[in-house]
Amino acid sequence: MKIETTRFGRVDVPEEKFITMPHGLLGFPDKRRFCIFQQKQGSPFVWYQSLDDPALAFVMTNPWLFKPDYRLDLELAIQAMGWDGDGDQVPLECYVIITIPRGAPERMTANLMGPVVLNPNTREAVQVVLSDEAYSLKYPLLQQKAA
Amino acid sequence: MLVLTRKSDEKITIGDDIIVSVLEIKGSQVKLGIDAPKGIAVHRSEIYERIQDENLLAANVVAADCVEAEKLWKPRKGNQDTVGGESED
Repeated sequence: MKIETTRFGRVDVPEEKFITMPHGLLGFPDKRRFCIFQQKQGSPFVWYQSLDDPALAFVMTNPWLFKPDYRLDLELAIQAMGWDGDGDQVPLECYVIITIPRGAPERMTANLMGPVVLNPNTREAVQVVLSDEAYSLKYPLLQQKAA
Repeated sequence: MLVLTRKSDEKITIGDDIIVSVLEIKGSQVKLGIDAPKGIAVHRSEIYERIQDENLLAANVVAADCVEAEKLWKPRKGNQDTVGGESED
């Protein structure tokens, strides 16, 4: 299905790839439908595009690409979303949202406190709030260099 | 908003299964205990607000900056780990 986006024009995304966020993202409670696509093949980033608002899109990545020891307790998300019905372990995907300051990509940061967790079976996602203060809201992706 | 006055050791019941207890009052600080069923998220409001603010910033990213960011950041491997066993060890 063709979807309208401000950044990329019309993008073709198969309907079975659509994602529902019953609670939305924090700050965007009424934007419930999203899809994930890559701007460029092989990129570590994906775009999380709203289907309800062509202008709303987020850059996300896999947190374990840059923080292999990242741990999150998904029990709460699983229960709140009712994903535990199957009994077995739910194969979940996890993304973190990237903030890239305008014109300053070297200062990009990842939000490790509010990861987006996707259940590929139900195509539902939720932004999990990790109250564990161990994780940064602005974790620099490019470390050391600036020091 | 419902406003209730409570003393130390007193409680408030919300719905059938959420209980907020005033454990201790010291100066301008109050220590609360919250009993809620599993699946109900309980967090300090500031954390919600901080994540919300960060989401608002992240929503302003422009595509050209993402292309530049890709050139700067080369992760070693491109495997898409799924959460589950891997996150528990």
